[in-house]
Amino acid sequence: MDYLALYVTLKLALVTTIFLMLMAAPIAYVLAYLRFPGKSLLEAFIYLPMALPPTAIGFYLLIVMGPKGFAGKAWGFFTGDSLLFTFIGITIASIIYSIPFAVQPMKAAFAKIDRRLLDAAYVLGLSKRSAFLRVIIPNSLGGIAAAAILVFLHSIGAFGVLLMVGGSIPGETKVASIAIYEAVETMNYRAAGMIALSFIPISYVFLLLINKLNKDSNI
Amino acid sequence: MTISASFKKRLKYFELDISFSCPSENMMVMIGPSGGGKTTIIRILAGLDTPDEGKIIFGDDIWFDSAMRINVSPQKRRLGYVFQDYTLFPHLTMYENAAFAAVNKKEVYELFELFKIGHLRNRKPHRVSGGERQRCAICQTLARHPRLLLLDEPFSALDTITRRGLREELKNLKGSLSFPIIYVTHDINEALFLADEILPVVDGKNDDGWMQRMITREPSDALSARAAREPRLALVY
Amino acid sequence: MKKHLIVALVLINLISPLSASAQEKISVAVAANFIQTFKEIAADFEGKTQIEVEATFSSTGNLYSQIVSGAPYDLFLSADEERPAILSKDGLAEKPFIYARGQVILWSANKDFCKAATWQDALKNNRIKKIAIANPATAPYGAASKVALQKAGLWDAQLRKLVNPQDIAQSFQYASTSAVDAGFCAMSATASPDGKKGCFYVIGEAPDTIQSACVLKRAKNRAAVKRFAEYLSSPEAKIIKMKFGYR
Repeated sequence: MDYLALYVTLKLALVTTIFLMLMAAPIAYVLAYLRFPGKSLLEAFIYLPMALPPTAIGFYLLIVMGPKGFAGKAWGFFTGDSLLFTFIGITIASIIYSIPFAVQPMKAAFAKIDRRLLDAAYVLGLSKRSAFLRVIIPNSLGGIAAAAILVFLHSIGAFGVLLMVGGSIPGETKVASIAIYEAVETMNYRAAGMIALSFIPISYVFLLLINKLNKDSNI
Repeated sequence: MTISASFKKRLKYFELDISFSCPSENMMVMIGPSGGGKTTIIRILAGLDTPDEGKIIFGDDIWFDSAMRINVSPQKRRLGYVFQDYTLFPHLTMYENAAFAAVNKKEVYELFELFKIGHLRNRKPHRVSGGERQRCAICQTLARHPRLLLLDEPFSALDTITRRGLREELKNLKGSLSFPIIYVTHDINEALFLADEILPVVDGKNDDGWMQRMITREPSDALSARAAREPRLALVY
Repeated sequence: MKKHLIVALVLINLISPLSASAQEKISVAVAANFIQTFKEIAADFEGKTQIEVEATFSSTGNLYSQIVSGAPYDLFLSADEERPAILSKDGLAEKPFIYARGQVILWSANKDFCKAATWQDALKNNRIKKIAIANPATAPYGAASKVALQKAGLWDAQLRKLVNPQDIAQSFQYASTSAVDAGFCAMSATASPDGKKGCFYVIGEAPDTIQSACVLKRAKNRAAVKRFAEYLSSPEAKIIKMKFGYR
């Protein structure tokens, strides 16, 4: 039973979720409330990872994060290390892979808030930033929680992207989904089965949670 | 402090072109058919919308001047605005709502007593009636010590009896308030009851003749039919 | 009625296999190290016989487990001797035959890498941060590389630098794009245009990879498959193999 791979998977999912939620909130805010030329182009671009096959995403990331790509070069310049085949590398890949799953539910939750609530907040003296933190966020907790859960579950399942840019290093980038794949490749069906089985309770619990949150926010 | 405004704005079906002023301790009521631009005017006074050209001056402060490119944000105008609904934050209790921008938190308790909602302090807005919510909204704005009070059909969503009661409380309160109040309604009786001054707005423009026509012509719609049935004050016009 | 007919026709076309040609076809599972070599041999063969050769490239281990699970290949070109032997013993394949001998090399896109006297010295250099080695469990070249590292006493020391691509082709891809500083690859990599741009050490400590192939019992078109298997050992094929560094 590859506990190490499970540990890497859960660690990756947790880190991805935390960083992505922080990154996606302002993006969702912009998409929900602002109007500007080229907005639909930007939106389509943000949702691109949902439409691309994961191996395609991995392929592009391999180029960009590699030693000749701008991200890999910048990273190498500041840290002297490579970006590929590291936990940070797969975290970046995982974040990009799940961006649409964070932005979409949050944007929907933000947009559902009545504009007059925000008007009232501004008239009462709240800056746009304070209004975001003290009015928008408390009133979209359902959507925010749903986004977090979706991102977490989606990250647990990442395979194609990580296969390309992870290098399957045990304890660092070898996640459970890759461990299952390699176990099957080496005919170790029992090991593969055990890892696969352990996904079910985790995913099931989270899906029940999403269901409950959806129902609550529709009252 | 007097609020004086004169501005124009191109809207979808007509052009808004209006001038008025309202001194302290005065209540000016804007009345007119729906869709006539009254809410837009209020939003412009609040700073939530911007006119195409014009000036808005409060006392010595220039809030808006298109020529000088001045446009003070709503946050800085320090006014009070009561909407028809949605003024209160659903995630806070009634007390927290009223105390949100309060200058003196203790005053909030007094205001609650004054408006007879003290016992609802810890409830969330969706657990109280519409009338109680609007009372809380008024407390919320008054607690801020606003320099100008704007009310946009604040009681229109309530039943007749509650509306009448709140209307009277507002009129009684008015005496102790020192700032100008601008009130929007489509109910002529409410206007006649509350106003020191009436500003009829039709299709974005001041139309003094409108009141005359509404009151003297044959009642052809529910609004004027009701106006004809209910007792009203002598018209001094 | 007409609409139903059109829908039915479209569905039937989608479900049935595309080629209705009478041309013979064989399907071959090929270990990743042999990709370029195989393509040339197959093209040659197709030109001479009009038999179409369809190939699937992956790691030996992956292909092997697919075959055991019933994948419909006609011929299996492994990178080792063990797996075809097991297939034969289990009744899934006919007697295996050796089709090539390969060598493990340590290849780098950076020519400075090869300035050291031996590959062990080159690896020990602190500036070398990442080395690719195909998963030893599924790629025989990876397994041979591991043996070499262990013999040199470097396996434990270098462990943290190792990156595990899924097969030997991906190992070369990582090395040629400089995603890693160097990679254990097959000698055949040096024959490619990209391969010529770098430098390499021959890893003598790694056992030669003896690559054997077997015809699978499931094969449909036995005559065509047998012809190709024979061609694989022909003098013409041998010239191609030698060009790519096989013996």
